[in-house]
Amino acid sequence: MKQTIHNLYALEQLSGGKTAIHRLHPIAKLLATAVFVVLVISFDRYATLRLAVYVFYPTLMMAVSETPYHMLMKRFLLTLPFCLFAGVSNLLLDTNTAYVGGGVAVSFGTVSLVSILLKAYLCVMAVLILVATTPFSGLTAALRRLSIPQMFITVFEMTYRYLAVLAGEAAAMRTAYALRGAGRQAVEIRDMGSFAGQLLIRSIDRAERVYHAMVCRGYAPGAQVRATDKITLKDIGFLIAVCVLCVVFRIIGPVELFLKIFGGILSC
Amino acid sequence: MLKLQDVTVVYPDGTKAVDGISLTVREGERVALVGGNGAGKTSLLLAAVGVLGLSGGSIEAAGITLGKKTLGAVREAVGMVFQNPDDQLFMPYIYDDVAFGCRNGGMSGAEVERRVDETLGRLGIAGLRSRSSLKLSGGEKRMAAIATVLAMDPSVILFDEPTAFLDHRAKRTLVTALRSLGQTQVIATHDLVFADEVCNRAVVLKDGRVAADGSLILLRDKALMADCGLEAIN
Ligand SMILES: Nc1ncnc2c1ncn2[C@@H]1O[C@H](COP(=O)(O)OP(=O)(O)OP(=O)(O)O)[C@@H](O)[C@H]1O
Ligand SMILES: [Mg+2]
Repeated sequence: MKQTIHNLYALEQLSGGKTAIHRLHPIAKLLATAVFVVLVISFDRYATLRLAVYVFYPTLMMAVSETPYHMLMKRFLLTLPFCLFAGVSNLLLDTNTAYVGGGVAVSFGTVSLVSILLKAYLCVMAVLILVATTPFSGLTAALRRLSIPQMFITVFEMTYRYLAVLAGEAAAMRTAYALRGAGRQAVEIRDMGSFAGQLLIRSIDRAERVYHAMVCRGYAPGAQVRATDKITLKDIGFLIAVCVLCVVFRIIGPVELFLKIFGGILSC
Repeated sequence: MLKLQDVTVVYPDGTKAVDGISLTVREGERVALVGGNGAGKTSLLLAAVGVLGLSGGSIEAAGITLGKKTLGAVREAVGMVFQNPDDQLFMPYIYDDVAFGCRNGGMSGAEVERRVDETLGRLGIAGLRSRSSLKLSGGEKRMAAIATVLAMDPSVILFDEPTAFLDHRAKRTLVTALRSLGQTQVIATHDLVFADEVCNRAVVLKDGRVAADGSLILLRDKALMADCGLEAIN
């Protein structure tokens, strides 16, 4: 548990990098990610082929920002069970044949399962890349500048900071339990209630003290972190490029696009 | 300067942890706040930075009277090192934790970096810079927690049990570091030897009241110390 949280923070450490992607303004990256995610989600559930084209974004971003693929993949795999769970029901319910290829019938259920997985992959990767290339304080400052209500930002910020605290508290309690638990490794069901209750109380107590430590060092929810960097032409260029590509791929499928470009050339 | 006038702190459950304490700490003074378990040291310090509300009395720090509107200003002037370092370290890496207060204070990136490195160096923990606080020993965490406050350079610093978890060498480093600071310091501790080395005044608390206030000779007063649950030094 503690390790998982630490992995999350390890991703944040990458955000200190100096590549072109890292240097982009947080707002540009945040908006680009948002546009990308919204467009990806907007596809219907059989649009597998057209979704596949969007792989361009995470792939390029990862390459340019020098983010190790395995770090992101490991985190994506964590979400896989949820996606499978969502997709498998389609597999069973939607058995009409969609394509027949090489003598094998592919059902609509299969197609939609693949598109759910693809959508999840694209969205999770896009968000992870954002986290891996943008310092957390930059993200919250960007949210603030986009006039997201302060309450959401504070909750987001506190939750993120607090994850480690909660994990630490749970780990300490588990150790204390195990040491006095006469060899029991896991928390027994009958102790689960009081363990969970105690964890909740301790966490709240702890959260309060951590919060105090934060405000004592000048943390003020809603205080403007003095924005030192301005949005440059590069940032705007990046944002426009991502938006245009995403929108074009949303309107025109890859096959049509291919035909339009090369069909034109061929007919000349 | 830190000026407490008739400060009273009552917890929601009715426990009166601080009972009418008046105390003036002058510029540059290093005051040892000693007393047994439950004497009210932590409560008094928390009240001084506005974490605990006052049930009576008033607090003035660096010329600012503590109140709702001045809370931010007071906290900029008064830094506090908490009793439990785990409460103070909440960022993924020690560097970020030490930088946290500086960034909130609006320092530029280069200035923050300089400050952090200087502070870590002074406390002899430059090696912890890019370590995660989840993976430090108790003593390392303590030194890192102290660094988070020192880096902000407040004019008054409150320490709550700074020597807990520290080994002999780290304690020596801390003694040197605190003595070299020009700031006004209030150090709550049971470690009378440490207090004797660092401070130039002793305030003894018992049951939320000031039992004695004076020179370090108080720490050698066997009867007084025993009465407060402490062991006098020789
Ligand atoms: N959150 C709380 N709610 C109620 N009572 C409290 C709370 N925290 C502390 N107290 C009580 O207030 C009194 C003073 O506690 P405080 O923590 O200030 O003592 P201390 O001098 O710092 O002790 P120690 O040396 O053990 O840290 C004690 O009687 C304690 O039981
Ligand atoms: Mg205490």
